[in-house]
Amino acid sequence: MTAWTPAQLWLVFAAVALIALGTRAIFIVLHGRASFPGWFRRALAFVPAAVLAAIAIPGTLTVAGQVSLALDNPRLWAGIAALLVAWRTRNVSATIAGGMVALWLIQWGMGRLA
Amino acid sequence: MAPLPAPAVPPLPALSFDRPAFVAGMRALSPTLVGLVPFALIAGVAGTGVGLTPWQTIGLSLLTFSGIAQLMVCQLLAIASPVAVILLATLVVSLRFLMYSAALAPHLGHLPLRWKLGLSYLTTDQGFAASLQHFTEGRGVGTEATGRAWYHLGGGLLQWGLWQAGVAVGALLGAQVPASWSLDFAVPLSFLAMLVPAVRNRGTLVAAVAGGVVALTAAGLPFRLGLIVASVAGIAAGALWSAREARQAHRPHPAEQTGDRP
Repeated sequence: MTAWTPAQLWLVFAAVALIALGTRAIFIVLHGRASFPGWFRRALAFVPAAVLAAIAIPGTLTVAGQVSLALDNPRLWAGIAALLVAWRTRNVSATIAGGMVALWLIQWGMGRLA
Repeated sequence: MAPLPAPAVPPLPALSFDRPAFVAGMRALSPTLVGLVPFALIAGVAGTGVGLTPWQTIGLSLLTFSGIAQLMVCQLLAIASPVAVILLATLVVSLRFLMYSAALAPHLGHLPLRWKLGLSYLTTDQGFAASLQHFTEGRGVGTEATGRAWYHLGGGLLQWGLWQAGVAVGALLGAQVPASWSLDFAVPLSFLAMLVPAVRNRGTLVAAVAGGVVALTAAGLPFRLGLIVASVAGIAAGALWSAREARQAHRPHPAEQTGDRP
């Protein structure tokens, strides 16, 4: 966790909020007076897949602040289990539940073996 | 005394309460609550999980009202990212909102400024989809100038109320859960769950694979820039791939070209 003062943290939150509101509001507020170029519109189609993968994959494999691709990283296998649940069900809650249960089972199993 | 001249404001639609449109908007988004509430709980747990106080977690949620942005800020705070990276990453995950804003502008752009700002703040992924479909294909209730505002407000307020309640409960409960439960893992899991439906064709698959691989190899970059570099790489890879695919679809296969220079 970053060592920021509460005041600094609130400033960051305010800036984040401004971006989240500004991107939603800009074309509605400037109705008819602005638009974006075609290449930008085409690139937008790839934003969710690229960004979600860039957040999700290292995030899943992070243990104690470090990305670990080791085969004995329980989060690697729990993440694969969650991907399977997501692919079969397309349901966020089921995916989170499946991944958490898989992680607990794997951690419990590894504890028994150790 | 002469009567005062009428104030020089453009004619605005009378925004008197349109109850049928408001209720129709709520009804349209009520099926989304099944997924929204658990997601809100996770966003609340994530905040206290990375060391925010419950009040800071609730404050971030009230200010932002964007689940992906909230979860990403938590994730980036957890790995001690600098402010610039947090803001840049927020901009990247919010790019899709530009598309929503442009699509909704013809339907909501006539409203007074505070309505436009309020309705923008309340726009979610599902709210955008439901409203746009209703405004373009629906008939009757909630499709004329005033009704559209109340329709979007109804759905948005319903989601907003349950979202904030869920975040608050998650933040207060999350603070009680011991670290051995590994609840922090729920945050990347929620992103994995959103990633799978975002991969819809070859182009988006290329974008996801490139984004994921670059993010793994760039995890050690200074200033936690890995996420930004990987996002840009993934978007570029997806866009280049589908541009190539489109060119090949429109041009005869190289093997069939005769007498032409390559």
